[in-house]
Amino acid sequence: MAKKEEGKVIDELTSSEYKYGFVTEIESDTFAKGLSEDVIKAISAKKEEPEWLLEWRLNAYKAWKTMEEPNWAHVDYPTPDFQDISYYSAPKPKPELESLDEVDPELLDTFSRLGISLDEQKRLSGVAVAVDIVMDSVSVKTTFKDTLAKKGIIFMSISEAIKEHPELVRKHLGSVVPVKDNFYSALNSAVFTDGSFCYIPEGVLCPMELSTYFRINESGTGQFERTLVIADKGARVSYLEGCTAPQRDENQLHAAVVELIALEDAEIKYSTVQNWYPGSKEGKGGVFNFVTKRAVAEKNAKISWTQVETGSAVTWKYPSTVLKGDGAIGEFYSIAVTNNFQQADTGTKMIHLGNNTKSTIISKGISAGKSQNSYRGLVKIAPNAKNARNFSQCDSLLMGDTCGAHTFPYIEAKNSSSHIEHEATTSKISEDQLFYCNQRGIDTEKAVALIVNGFGKEVLNKLPMEFAVEAQKLLEISLEGSVG
Amino acid sequence: MSLKEKIISTYRSFEEAISSSSSINDIKDNAIKTFEEKGFPTLKDEDWKYTSLKSILKTDFCIVPSENKDIEIADIEKYFVDTDSFRAVVVDGYFSAELSTINTEKAIISSMKEAIEEKNELALKHISKIAPADNSMVALNTIGHADGIFISIPNNTILEKPIQLLHIATGISGETLVQTRNLIVVGKNCDAKIIERHQSLTENTILSNPVTEISVGENSYYYHYKIQNDVVSANLIDNTYVNQSRYSNAFVDTFSFGGNITRNNLSFFLNEENAVANLNGISLLNDSQHVDNFTFVDHRVANCDSHELYKGIYDESSKGVFTGKIFIHKDAQKTNGNQQNNNLILSENAQINTRPQLEIYADDVKANHGCTIGQLDKEALFFMRSRGIPKKEAKAMLMYAFASEALKNVKIEALTAQINKLIAAKLNVDIEFGE
Amino acid sequence: MLKIKDLKASIDGKEILKGLNLEVKPGEVHAVMGPNGAGKSTLSAVIAGKDTFEVTEGTIEFQGEIINELAPEDRAHKGIFMSFQHPVEIPGVTVTNFIKASVNAKRAAEGKEDLTPGEMLKLIKEKAAMLELDRKFLSRSLNQGFSGGEKKRNEIFQMAVLEPTLAILDETDSGLDIDALRIVANGVNNLKSPNRSAIVITHYQRLLDYIVPDFVHVLFEGRIVKTGGKELAMKLEEKGYDWIKEELKANN
Repeated sequence: MAKKEEGKVIDELTSSEYKYGFVTEIESDTFAKGLSEDVIKAISAKKEEPEWLLEWRLNAYKAWKTMEEPNWAHVDYPTPDFQDISYYSAPKPKPELESLDEVDPELLDTFSRLGISLDEQKRLSGVAVAVDIVMDSVSVKTTFKDTLAKKGIIFMSISEAIKEHPELVRKHLGSVVPVKDNFYSALNSAVFTDGSFCYIPEGVLCPMELSTYFRINESGTGQFERTLVIADKGARVSYLEGCTAPQRDENQLHAAVVELIALEDAEIKYSTVQNWYPGSKEGKGGVFNFVTKRAVAEKNAKISWTQVETGSAVTWKYPSTVLKGDGAIGEFYSIAVTNNFQQADTGTKMIHLGNNTKSTIISKGISAGKSQNSYRGLVKIAPNAKNARNFSQCDSLLMGDTCGAHTFPYIEAKNSSSHIEHEATTSKISEDQLFYCNQRGIDTEKAVALIVNGFGKEVLNKLPMEFAVEAQKLLEISLEGSVG
Repeated sequence: MSLKEKIISTYRSFEEAISSSSSINDIKDNAIKTFEEKGFPTLKDEDWKYTSLKSILKTDFCIVPSENKDIEIADIEKYFVDTDSFRAVVVDGYFSAELSTINTEKAIISSMKEAIEEKNELALKHISKIAPADNSMVALNTIGHADGIFISIPNNTILEKPIQLLHIATGISGETLVQTRNLIVVGKNCDAKIIERHQSLTENTILSNPVTEISVGENSYYYHYKIQNDVVSANLIDNTYVNQSRYSNAFVDTFSFGGNITRNNLSFFLNEENAVANLNGISLLNDSQHVDNFTFVDHRVANCDSHELYKGIYDESSKGVFTGKIFIHKDAQKTNGNQQNNNLILSENAQINTRPQLEIYADDVKANHGCTIGQLDKEALFFMRSRGIPKKEAKAMLMYAFASEALKNVKIEALTAQINKLIAAKLNVDIEFGE
Repeated sequence: MLKIKDLKASIDGKEILKGLNLEVKPGEVHAVMGPNGAGKSTLSAVIAGKDTFEVTEGTIEFQGEIINELAPEDRAHKGIFMSFQHPVEIPGVTVTNFIKASVNAKRAAEGKEDLTPGEMLKLIKEKAAMLELDRKFLSRSLNQGFSGGEKKRNEIFQMAVLEPTLAILDETDSGLDIDALRIVANGVNNLKSPNRSAIVITHYQRLLDYIVPDFVHVLFEGRIVKTGGKELAMKLEEKGYDWIKEELKANN
């Protein structure tokens, strides 16, 4: 392919518009900017929280103040000014909704533009999906709650859960990601405002996909949500989260914590389609996405993380699995696309503690524009973990000559019966491939889409059926028609 | 007083005694500042995440050893590979002309100190220009080395005989920090082979911190083999930095069998197009040995290749570390970089930490790395035993088969034979490998 | 159908085609033979529109239209198909998906709707049977891990699905065993019709036993220097190209 044509394709790819960049004009209740003990007390009071949780938050805040921002990731960004963020913002009036009629029409419109239906009658792609929707700091609507309740499944915002199931929340909150785990998990613990909570009782197979949709709307706010999913013995659940934010020139901070607990024989599949506003073509604005996600898998339990990451200006995210029980299985399937000035440092940690534990890592990075895309992953086999197995494959695809693709795997084996295989490749879309497609009548843009789709196939195949289509659409937006 | 403080105060007082202000002194002055600022690396340094020097640094090392004139050829003969060669011997950091065989018209093989004092042009041109000054161990060496080996191979020289570099630690000054500074400058269209070995003759704890800078000229082939088979009281932090010119091929092989803690910092800088870097290594460890191979290949320009293959076998409570960074700069298009790190863990208490890293800023490249950790093939072992081969021998043969791929760049027969013998000895078997 | 006049083409400033003339009429099969480096593969790539080659002079006319400036996909939409000497691998893209993309791209260019999944399936099944390809083959990644024979059969399979007006087979027979050769030739022959044509580029007259050409051309140093019938291919196989060189010298 001639340079000219290649340039054209890359131009098109990098000039696609972020289509979720609109702002909803909705009245909201937003705290003044700044972070202090008083702000935390105010958040806790606003949410009518029990005393133990306020204490927990204040302890986290104390710890956070002594911590330093991590700087080992392969990303470069200005440190957020933590006093220049509002830590609470909620659409007004405080939504305690009995039926859809009570939802602010602006809000309904927002979510319909995002392709999310709040109407339980209108099912996404014809398949039932229960959705919890979090706008800025609070959950605005959880669908199918009653249907799920019949099976004993609890699916609600974490604020509600704190009130209705305090014992469950108190027992598990912070048990997987300790408050002091890292800088951003400490910050989140201090100021989290909402998120989703999910509990699947023993032996129950959740009959539908559960989904949380996160939306940052207000300017000058951060989003600090907290998700807790517990699958009791033998339970099974598939969970999906999606994220978008308006187009703003400022950087907005998103620092979430997700904790998954899979008890004996349980299975949690957690899929993410992350499409926070990535910033403008010139690299202005965009969301800083600093997220801590971790799961514990007990005996014979299985955790499967699947992520399609296309958004955010800077991403710092390593969904991890602690394979605690014998025979536990951890999986991580990821596609991360970076374009323009985006930076992503993402990967996973598989910590093998139990015997006969098994983990699989498939990571596909696609870099275009002037972006930097890094895979960073840890496979750790503890001294007592016999017969642990890991297979990792990290592939990078480069488009254009101004981007970077990096691979930083860490492999620590402390047991002689470990078996670990790691492979990584980096390549570009070749001119021969493009000409071959052209000759078969497929134009260059579609050819790129076809090749990218093929490259990411092993991961796309792992997404829940209903969301695979959405994810492919997202890839299309990020790489302008890259997936057909 | 910590070792760091001792080093700094000792050399500061030396410096005050010397009033001259040559460029070499400027370099030393900066090195003191760097070392003062950074000190010895700790586990908090990302590059040293898996190797702790803490246990060694407790030792009250003598940092300015006296010259030992009592070593004779007979004491050290057995540490040379049995082949016709030139020899350069350094004792406790001082070049020994008596023990060396350096008479050749084809090349200069001399004391580093003399080369600098005699203002050898090439020595002055390259010294401290290849090794990164901001590295604390390099800085330490820059401050503390007394002497070393300087080799200059002029354009169009084919050296038929290898040069053997032997660094001896005698322990005459007790527990010693031995630092030598070596520089090897290879001209255009040359072919040269080097065998390097560090050997302690004492039970006193030794910490060697040599820095070797190598410049490989256009269209030359350069082979450098490191045999690491030291005694258990010896520790080594080897720092080797290679600059490559266009169409040059450089090979550095590191064979680690002995010693206590060994860290090999090995960097290749591909400065001109069509250069090829080759890095191979075998680590065969037991007891509580620790070997850390920290490799870096810097693809600075287009059309260069690098090939890296490291094999590790870890028994008992030994620990292996491998870091392989391939850095491909924006302009290094058409780079072909590949890297393999394969490991066998043979015991419950052995450990391996490996970090194969690709950092790529160019788009038209082919790069891959692979890494495996596993055990000896039980089926193969059973098969061999069922044909009457005793377990120990069968295991040894499988281990040799696993490791020997990394011997492919050894171009000196006597050296291959020697390495095969060392492997057999290490595995405690009476097998002639490589037949 | 295809008229090539005084075609000169070069790569990186080096001239490969040095004034080539060739006319292919509807329904005709032309064989192009020649020694290594004569410009055979360049000819097929230039007709298909590969832009690493620069056409410096002359014209390529296809169905009355000069196509020199057309993009490769536009040429494909007009009915030009080239079977690659070295088909490329596209990991993760199945044979079926690739063909779908290709067929629908062509239909879109013709202003037609996409085929329904049912129609597509029927078409693919029918042509796969002709090339003796089994279902598993269709769900494999395009050309990845294919044997040489499988790659070539896959090319002819795609040709059968796309039903081009002009098929160019670039050394499709090289490296094929006799069974694969028979299947490939059968695929080509099935496509024969009074309004379709083919250019068969080959080293060996063996293929011409199966695909009988109307004309045989000798390409030498970037020009067609001799044209004859099938007997010319036999002669080339037997005697090599030296006699052609001699003849050329004598004529000069």
